[in-house]
Amino acid sequence: MGTASAALDLATRMAAVVGARHVIADDSELSTYECDGLTGARVRPRLVVLPASTEEVAAVVRIAAEEGIPVVARGAGTGLSGGALPVPGGVVVALSRMRRILEVDLPNGWIRVEPGVINLDVSKAIAADGYYYAPDPSSQSVCTIGGNVAENSGGAHCLKYGFTVNHVRGARIVLADGSVVDLGGPVLDTPGYDLSGVVVGSEGLLGIVTEVVLRVLRKPQATRTFFATFPSTDEAGAAVSAIIASGIVPAAIEMMDRLAIVAAKAATGVDWPDVGAALLMDADGPLAEVEHTSENAIELARRAGAIEIRRPRDDAERALMWKGRKSAFAAVGRISPNYFVQDGVIPRSEIARVLREIESLATSVGLRVANVFHAGDGNLHPLVLYDKTLPGQERAAEELGGEILRLCVRSGGSITGEHGVGADKAAYMSVMFSEDDLDTMGLVRCAFDPEGLLNPGKVFPTPRLCGDRPGPYRPHAAETAGQAWRE
Amino acid sequence: MSLPSGRPPTDADSVLGARPEIVCEPSSLEEAAEIVGRSARDGKSLVFVGGGTDLDLGRRPASLDVVLRTRRLDRVVEHAPSDQIVVVEAGVTLAALARTLALRGQRLVLDPPLPERATVGGVLAANAFGPRRARYGSARDLIIGISFVRSDGRLAHGGGKVVKNVAGFDLPKLMVGSLGTLGLIATATFRLHPLPEETVTLLSRGLGAPDVWTLTGRMREAQLEPSSVVGLWREDGRIDLSVRFEGFARGVAEQRERFVSMVSGETGSRCDELDAAAAESLWVRHDALRRAGSVRAKLAALPAAFATLVREALAPLFSALERPGFVWYPTLGLGFVTGEPRAAVDPAGAIASARMSLGAGGGSLVLEAAPESIRNRVDVWGAPPSAISLIKSVKSRLDPTRRFAPGRFVGGI
Repeated sequence: MGTASAALDLATRMAAVVGARHVIADDSELSTYECDGLTGARVRPRLVVLPASTEEVAAVVRIAAEEGIPVVARGAGTGLSGGALPVPGGVVVALSRMRRILEVDLPNGWIRVEPGVINLDVSKAIAADGYYYAPDPSSQSVCTIGGNVAENSGGAHCLKYGFTVNHVRGARIVLADGSVVDLGGPVLDTPGYDLSGVVVGSEGLLGIVTEVVLRVLRKPQATRTFFATFPSTDEAGAAVSAIIASGIVPAAIEMMDRLAIVAAKAATGVDWPDVGAALLMDADGPLAEVEHTSENAIELARRAGAIEIRRPRDDAERALMWKGRKSAFAAVGRISPNYFVQDGVIPRSEIARVLREIESLATSVGLRVANVFHAGDGNLHPLVLYDKTLPGQERAAEELGGEILRLCVRSGGSITGEHGVGADKAAYMSVMFSEDDLDTMGLVRCAFDPEGLLNPGKVFPTPRLCGDRPGPYRPHAAETAGQAWRE
Repeated sequence: MSLPSGRPPTDADSVLGARPEIVCEPSSLEEAAEIVGRSARDGKSLVFVGGGTDLDLGRRPASLDVVLRTRRLDRVVEHAPSDQIVVVEAGVTLAALARTLALRGQRLVLDPPLPERATVGGVLAANAFGPRRARYGSARDLIIGISFVRSDGRLAHGGGKVVKNVAGFDLPKLMVGSLGTLGLIATATFRLHPLPEETVTLLSRGLGAPDVWTLTGRMREAQLEPSSVVGLWREDGRIDLSVRFEGFARGVAEQRERFVSMVSGETGSRCDELDAAAAESLWVRHDALRRAGSVRAKLAALPAAFATLVREALAPLFSALERPGFVWYPTLGLGFVTGEPRAAVDPAGAIASARMSLGAGGGSLVLEAAPESIRNRVDVWGAPPSAISLIKSVKSRLDPTRRFAPGRFVGGI
């Protein structure tokens, strides 16, 4: 049977589940799905299926399992590590039709949503009652809760409030064989392993989330924001350390270096001065506490060498400050034809040293790096600027990105703080983890998906087989294809 | 088929009535890994014991050859105050760790009872918690890295030493609450918090159950951020509600004022600020209530279902217990019932009724301690959760020969 007719058969079976107009098999339409936010990597999937319910997701996954076809789940496709990159010959399950808010229980502090619900829409749905959903990735106006769960998304305010995993109480997931399991729920401490804690951040390798119970919070009484400029990232880094050391837990504390400030100004028209570094800090909580911490933080910033402190006069001005910060990634396009967004973590006490080392690494290969990042938790986002029309520069930029990750791990940090490993960083997992560590994570994967059909090729640097299935030896699909082997 | 070297057991080494053949107390992680690996080769079953504060949790192990005690794995491996993280071996007690961290003005905000005995490894394995969970979360929210000895004796790591990190599967979360059934927790890395400048404990005496829920909701509406909210049941059926605020002095003072006027406005009751000694004795009373009696049950329900819980779960349990006690965390929806079995009353029926009511609302009841006569009649874990087949699958991948506390955990895995 030829590939085309096999795809057709599969499409027919899928159409019987979700309806023909929710199966995409047309080549030009498929191209929309061939990458996520990591646009440099592209794979055209065999089919895209858009189910509308848990039952439909389960039926779709069951068909794929019967045929031994890999499945990649996809939310809004804003991920930056290629987590939703399709697998050759595989099916993409796009969850954009599952965008209902199913249940709201504010007295008990939770909300149940489908995975296609947009992050910001959760907060909007409960804003009138004075509640919100805390994780706030910069893409929050477009990214979905399902994608946030897969990536354990953070955001500027996770310094105080934690990541997606700290806000997921339970989930309904479809496993690789099409079975449906409920993990956790609105009530705390379900007996058994914390499997919803394991599923969050598993990048689509353990199951497809079809419902999520999220913790929602009462809005804080007050928020105080200030913007501080510094001669260089050394003083700004020292200010961050001093603020944290004083016992203040800011809601967010963000740093931008000279290049990032230039870019943000060009893109948004904020009237920031040309300085070596800037900090943007939020303190929130009960009014008296916030006024105290905000004043103290400003004093500490001054003592660390701040040139100027600005306080927004109203909400509009505050929003503009944050807009400058949140648009800084895209803004870098104004000062460089091409750039890579890197994501690594270092102990925050190392910020000044590591930034200097990044600069010297960049200078040595003739490249520039802009830095705009979550300083409070040491989550760097170096933007490596390059021009791909210049021979060898793209390659040099990629290599510099890799060097920066190694530097993060050497400094006691991580290869990713919030963008995920995905396809992009699988090769770097062995820089951070031993073979035994990866093997252990592989065992968890085998417990959920013994055939390795969900999002294969992501996270793990080398394909892994689960083995020890009873009965006679049967070659795994990956073995037949020469992509994996048994020792 | 030899046993690792160790000492012969005493009665105090038995776990839920199962007596091991030998007790090992390794003094290094390498030695601990060697014991686990060797036991694996020889098909010996193991139970890991820290301070023994939650040793009554779970079913009796189906077999037990080796008890491995972690008390000599007691090093603070690394404390980085400016990064607010600490790496510790599993056998460090919470109290010893608190003393070390306090020298640099920091703390690990995990406050289950018996901190002088409770070890980091044991607290993680049992997912033990105390009043400050209301604001700081539980072990799962504070742990950022882990290393554990697998069933084949190899050491595996997950997470890291930075607070923000999404590389690889979250093995720390998997290990929290796994009760020693997936591996021996060797070291853990935690996120720390600064010691507060000011702490205030307030007490409203003799409230009714509806008042407790009303005040909890009002506090949230008023955007107060208490670090602890605890209801202590009194013999007269009323509740003493204690609320603790921590942070910078100005913020604490302002929140105290608002809470005091809220209590008098909502309930007409007084709300007293306790001096340091009185606050200390209140929290001691809390810890004692949590640990009182040979029967201890953990109840979980939605916070707003408190009145139903009192009526349908607490009432039958109290009728089956002598000197019953009850601690309730109204913001979390978690509580503990304690007491002694009442002669000539069958507790199984009371537990079944309580479970039926709690289960209907998505909650649960776990018998964290009970005499054998009760254990023989009821499953301490209750009905297996819907994820039981997945739970079994995880267990069989990580402990394929089923030698870590076989039978002790949920579903008898």
